[in-house]
Amino acid sequence: MRLLLVEDEIEIQGFLKRSLTEAGYQVDVAGNGKAGERLAAESHHDIFIIDLGLPDEDGISLILRLRQLGVNAPVLILSARRTVDDRVHGLEQGGGDYLTKPFAMAELLARLRNLLRRKASAPPEATRLRVLDLELDLLRREATRGGETLSLTPQEFVLLEYLCRNAGRVVTRSMILDQVWGMRIQPDTNVVDVHIYRLRGKVDAEGRRPLIRTLRGVGYVLKDR
Amino acid sequence: MFSKIGKTTMRSAAWRISLWATLAFACGTMVVFVFLHRFVSKDIQRRSDAWLSGEVEVLGDVAARTRKDALYGRVVGEVAELASREVPNRLLSSQGQNDSVFFLQTGADGSLALWVGAGNGVAYLDAIRHGRRVTDTPTDLRVDAFDIPFRVASVAVGDGTRIYLGLSERDERRLLRSLRFRFLLLWLAIVLIGAAIVFYTTRRMLGHVRGITEAASRIGESDLRSRVPTSRRKDEIAQLASTLNTMLDRIENSVHQLHTITDSLAHDLRSPLTAVRAKLEMALTGGAGEEAESVVTAIEELDRVTDFLNKSLDVAEAKADALRLDRVAIDLDQLLRSMVDLYEPSMSERGLRIQLRSAERVEIWADSGLLHRMIANLFDNELKHLPPSSTVAIALRAEEGRAILLVEDDGPGFAPEIAAHIFERRVKGPQSNGHGLGLAFVEAVARAHGGSTEAANRIDGGARLIVTLPLFSGQRKENSCSVALLSLSATK
Repeated sequence: MRLLLVEDEIEIQGFLKRSLTEAGYQVDVAGNGKAGERLAAESHHDIFIIDLGLPDEDGISLILRLRQLGVNAPVLILSARRTVDDRVHGLEQGGGDYLTKPFAMAELLARLRNLLRRKASAPPEATRLRVLDLELDLLRREATRGGETLSLTPQEFVLLEYLCRNAGRVVTRSMILDQVWGMRIQPDTNVVDVHIYRLRGKVDAEGRRPLIRTLRGVGYVLKDR
Repeated sequence: MFSKIGKTTMRSAAWRISLWATLAFACGTMVVFVFLHRFVSKDIQRRSDAWLSGEVEVLGDVAARTRKDALYGRVVGEVAELASREVPNRLLSSQGQNDSVFFLQTGADGSLALWVGAGNGVAYLDAIRHGRRVTDTPTDLRVDAFDIPFRVASVAVGDGTRIYLGLSERDERRLLRSLRFRFLLLWLAIVLIGAAIVFYTTRRMLGHVRGITEAASRIGESDLRSRVPTSRRKDEIAQLASTLNTMLDRIENSVHQLHTITDSLAHDLRSPLTAVRAKLEMALTGGAGEEAESVVTAIEELDRVTDFLNKSLDVAEAKADALRLDRVAIDLDQLLRSMVDLYEPSMSERGLRIQLRSAERVEIWADSGLLHRMIANLFDNELKHLPPSSTVAIALRAEEGRAILLVEDDGPGFAPEIAAHIFERRVKGPQSNGHGLGLAFVEAVARAHGGSTEAANRIDGGARLIVTLPLFSGQRKENSCSVALLSLSATK
């Protein structure tokens, strides 16, 4: 996967490049809009990360120019603004997603994966999900662990489904709120943790091998091995 | 439909202005006409009186000089006949016979000596006998069989006889009547045309004013970029529009300035925060044990700082009525249900119960991000401040175009010293360890959406918060499509 990062802050550029490379991306870096456009024209990139506040121009105009050049790869927009410009919303579907600074690296990676998956032709929707001995029947909304049915509330099922779909990958609290509850909020309280705690009580009942793990300061991960 | 238009027209200022203006104009012209009419009728009377006096003098003279023989009647009659042809304001009677003038001479005994005029003159003589004829100046005389009186002048001839010359006031009256009739027609036409013109022009003028008002109110609630319409003319209304626009320029400028400041503040703080957070995250992957614990705590602290930064800036912008909204139609009922679903485990963990009373869809037109955070703040507030085994009761209803959200609890309520200022920045209870921004944020968001908030302690203990927001009217859909991408990425 080849990725183009357009970001002017040297420090952020540095650690993003390092983390993205570690995550398996082949990363090109540009410090401003012009360099970004040149790099994009020179070679094919599967995905872009573009900062809104570039020294020479607005990230949005760069994206619009790239679209005019026929570049269709999805874009993850980084913004230091609190509210997102209408034009970000106006970007066409497939245009991407946005993330406000500061963000958890895990969340950035997760959103990149989401964008890439969205772009790839959707695979035939599975009706069953399986992670080790945990099995989810998506049609009957039933979960079993080692053949034993778990009594989950509908909401808990959706949460577990989301964790299973991202098995092995970190999901942050804000991603869970966004994807499971459809809310972009930052609660002062540990609402998500309590949900996970309850779910864990049912999925990882005593004597079972724990599946749901907490990465403090980052989020959760459903370990598949 | 028509009556509706009629009603709105009759309520409009244009209608009132044209009504009063027309009334004033109509009364004014009427007064002028009354004076004119009196002047004209007096003048006509004066002229006919002058004619009568002159003629009767001449006739008296002729009668005195003519010898009283067989020809006397013919001579005087001829002169009288001639005189009657010079009648002022003369209109021929319908029969073609002149009955508007009569000449009459009474003998010394008061009998009819000579008569020139229509008929035999007996009726006239009777009328003269019954009236008191002493003066030489012309007076009115009513004759039977005539509705209209005669103006009669008389003169005494030396031989004890008396000459009377009468002129019917019929022609005079007919002239005045036609004058009145023409004036009335003209007056009606002028008044109607004037009213129409006044109504049309004031309505046009006030139409401009209404356009300005509508544009101005739209600007207030949606965006600051548009301006009220201006016209090329340099009248008061154009001045009003341009003054409003200048004011809007200034407001937009200040708001823009505020946005620049908050944005650059956010930007300048966020970039280093991002870098610090990333470094901490990297340190976390390597470390373990106690070290890792402190790094995690540092990350959490950092996230709290970020959240605080966001909220303070939002509250600051909202206090200045400068929150940037990206509105969509939101079903508050559904949102509350998911919010209750989200918070219920945390609440029961702390020994709190939560109840939601809401029946049907309650749609509002709001910025979904801000609204979600506002409701989350309300729930967080209850979760943080209520002692165990309390109950939170949430009720939602729609009333008179407004959505009313009621959040009540049976906890200790607000501390009396802060109850009145609960929605202000940095106001928090003595036991609170928050930033004191939560409820200020709630108030700010409600305000930005044209709503309001209320807080009070319930009589039977506990706190009550009321948030009122305008209902979605279903007509303001301009920017609903621009957020399609966001909601799409949020649901996928």
